[in-house]
Amino acid sequence: MAAIEFRQIAKSFGAVEALRDVSFSIGDGEAHAIVGENGAGKSTLLKILAGSLRPDRGELRVGDTSVSLGRPRDALARGIGLVHQEMLAFPNLSVTANIFAGRELTGRFGRLREDEMRARAREILARLHLPVSPDAQVDRLPLAYRQLLQVARALAFDCRILALDEPTTSLTAGETDHLFRVLDQLKTTGVTLVYVSHRLPEVFRLCDRITVLRDGRFVSTSVRAEATPDQIVQAMVGRVIPPRGAQPARPAPSEMQLRVERLSRRPCFEDISFRVDGGEIVAIFGLVGSGRSELLETLVGLHAADSGEMHVDGTRRVFGSPRDAAAAGVALVPEDRQRQGLFFNLNLRHNLLLPRAQAQRAVLVSGREKRASDDLLKRWQIKAPSSSATPDSLSGGNQQKVVLAKWLALEPKVLLLDEPTKGVDVGAKYDIHGIVRQLASKGAACLVVSSDLPEVLALADRILVMRAGRIRGEIAATAETTEESVMRMAASVPGEAA
Amino acid sequence: MKKLWEVRELSTVAILVLEVAFFTWYLWPGGGRSHPFLNAANGLLILKYSSIYGIASIGAAIVIISGGIDLAPGAVIALAGVVTGGLFVDAHWTLAASAGAGLASGLACGLLSAALIVLFRLPPFIATLGVMGIARGAAFIVTEGRYFDVSGALPADWRLAGVVPLDWSSPLVMVALALMFQLLMTRFQWGRAVFAVGGNETAAQFSGVSVGFVQASVYVIAGVLAAVSGVALAVVQGQGKADLATGYELDIIASAVVGGASLAGGRGSVIGAVLGTLIFGVLRNALPQIPGATFYDRLIVGVVVIVIVVMDQLILQRRAASV
Repeated sequence: MAAIEFRQIAKSFGAVEALRDVSFSIGDGEAHAIVGENGAGKSTLLKILAGSLRPDRGELRVGDTSVSLGRPRDALARGIGLVHQEMLAFPNLSVTANIFAGRELTGRFGRLREDEMRARAREILARLHLPVSPDAQVDRLPLAYRQLLQVARALAFDCRILALDEPTTSLTAGETDHLFRVLDQLKTTGVTLVYVSHRLPEVFRLCDRITVLRDGRFVSTSVRAEATPDQIVQAMVGRVIPPRGAQPARPAPSEMQLRVERLSRRPCFEDISFRVDGGEIVAIFGLVGSGRSELLETLVGLHAADSGEMHVDGTRRVFGSPRDAAAAGVALVPEDRQRQGLFFNLNLRHNLLLPRAQAQRAVLVSGREKRASDDLLKRWQIKAPSSSATPDSLSGGNQQKVVLAKWLALEPKVLLLDEPTKGVDVGAKYDIHGIVRQLASKGAACLVVSSDLPEVLALADRILVMRAGRIRGEIAATAETTEESVMRMAASVPGEAA
Repeated sequence: MKKLWEVRELSTVAILVLEVAFFTWYLWPGGGRSHPFLNAANGLLILKYSSIYGIASIGAAIVIISGGIDLAPGAVIALAGVVTGGLFVDAHWTLAASAGAGLASGLACGLLSAALIVLFRLPPFIATLGVMGIARGAAFIVTEGRYFDVSGALPADWRLAGVVPLDWSSPLVMVALALMFQLLMTRFQWGRAVFAVGGNETAAQFSGVSVGFVQASVYVIAGVLAAVSGVALAVVQGQGKADLATGYELDIIASAVVGGASLAGGRGSVIGAVLGTLIFGVLRNALPQIPGATFYDRLIVGVVVIVIVVMDQLILQRRAASV
């Protein structure tokens, strides 16, 4: 029996057809993956399932009945819960308040039944193996727990169908494992899982069947046992992706280098020393919370270091702000493009050219903005309606390329990248890796922070493993380096010789 | 190039034109008498009174675009007015020196707001609420309740810079400042940075914008512009009194919003804000001419604000949906 059936679902946003006659069904109690590049229509489909969007045409059947979900609340009432990619939470409220937000248990005159809610919350948290107090304030929780809180929310409403949109984007390997154990357990209790992800290993680990969408169209549904990751990737992108490791040759490391010596900013990181030569790509691998983002932010002057030194090109540098860093050729591509990278009130022209103008301390707005930004869009193959469009009209992958391009416009000597492919699709990821390699081949020193192990192995010449604010070891990336060897170093117990 | 109908200021102009057309029709005189609303003298009167709001609204628009809010302009107008009036009438300073001192009082208020917001990280609402009280209080202390009759002390044929007649001077200053700041906001990196900070403060910081400098500069500019309004009030309307311009801050903010500024920051225009003050200026001028409408004046102004902003929202939503 089908738990969910999509029949000829179509949805357009203005001229953009996000979904075109998509039909497939999801079996009761099955774990069903929906994969596809960004812009393929996965999120739109999920939003229709969760009641936050109405389809233009077509029919959605839940169980055996045709349903019309006008609001997220309708979906919840039908037992459909959605775990968003973005951490939708009220950071200022308690865990319990977040779990029950919008559907609080109330007594007479709308009085909140706090004790009952707290008890239910405690029970659900235990089911999820979450060592969190129901009274804890959410902004004090690690990101991973906030994600699981959304699962808790769905459980609180007895959802029989749980839709997850890229739930592991900001989770570490350990946290992902935790989430998967919870999902496995839910599966055994008969909950239907709809799992949207870019990460094929996860999809193959969890799901029974895999549906591929491309350009808003249904491509295929395969049974896991009969499909290979390569087939799925090809169905997703509609072209053959060159194999990993087919990297262009790079010149010998140049004189240019970034050298960091005994840099500390307690409690984030301590005693960090490393060097990146020009033409080299060095990755810092570490779990979330190991102090990696803070390290990069300190390097460009967003925070002050307690002690230690940084040398660029043989000169000691202390940057007071990202502007100083950029003027000296050091650029940081931040992790969170929505919050730290893009201006959604400004068009792409203004977005792309702001850092360069700031670094150059330009007074006037350049009269050649249009040509300069069109060049950047073309050069980095950013798909955008025009340079007058705002970033919200772009897919996640193209937004990320805009964030990259706005720093590349400066032609940096040292490029720091924080999770450069977080939440982007396979095609964009491949493009972004190409851009980083191209920059390195021109002699820039590239330092990539990533918790995506395949990415680290595909991109880096050397890998620094960071744990609890310290660098625990270094691995030269060769064909023999495996994910296991890196992970072992990242997760090994403190005190052990690294 | 932006398509013509996408220029937000045009809809503000359209509302203004409609408004003038309505009052022209509604107040059309019978029997060949001259039109009480549509005549050159009344037009100048509207411009003269609106310019007090208009000059300050330039600063308000810039603050709002930067993601902040300024509650001080009404009080700063009064303070700059009494400082100018007091020094000119009582202390017999030259007009230029008195006006300079008036502007300096506005500069001081702007610097204080900027320091509270940037150095002490106070929310702009609270910081400028405090400065509003301080400025108003200072105005009362300076005057000790007196009234300075500037127009009485001013030569009858006074002209701005020896050229511009008294009545024309403040509208002219408003237009000049509006054009200047419109250019600063659209053609200079400083303006770009103001939009960036208002749109996404964190991204602005990561992009190398000196967020603190930008925030400080907008409050200082708003303080000085409000003081220009105050000097204009003292010189052009000839009055210096501590309780003048009470409540102007809300009219000024409303004008900026009607002109397209979003209180969420990152959106708006200087020209729009000035046009917004003209919309209210016409209302304030024409409504009292309608018999019985006097008591409805504030109510109508309130309704107009809401209607225009709701229309703006609807247009924005439709545009977003069509992307």
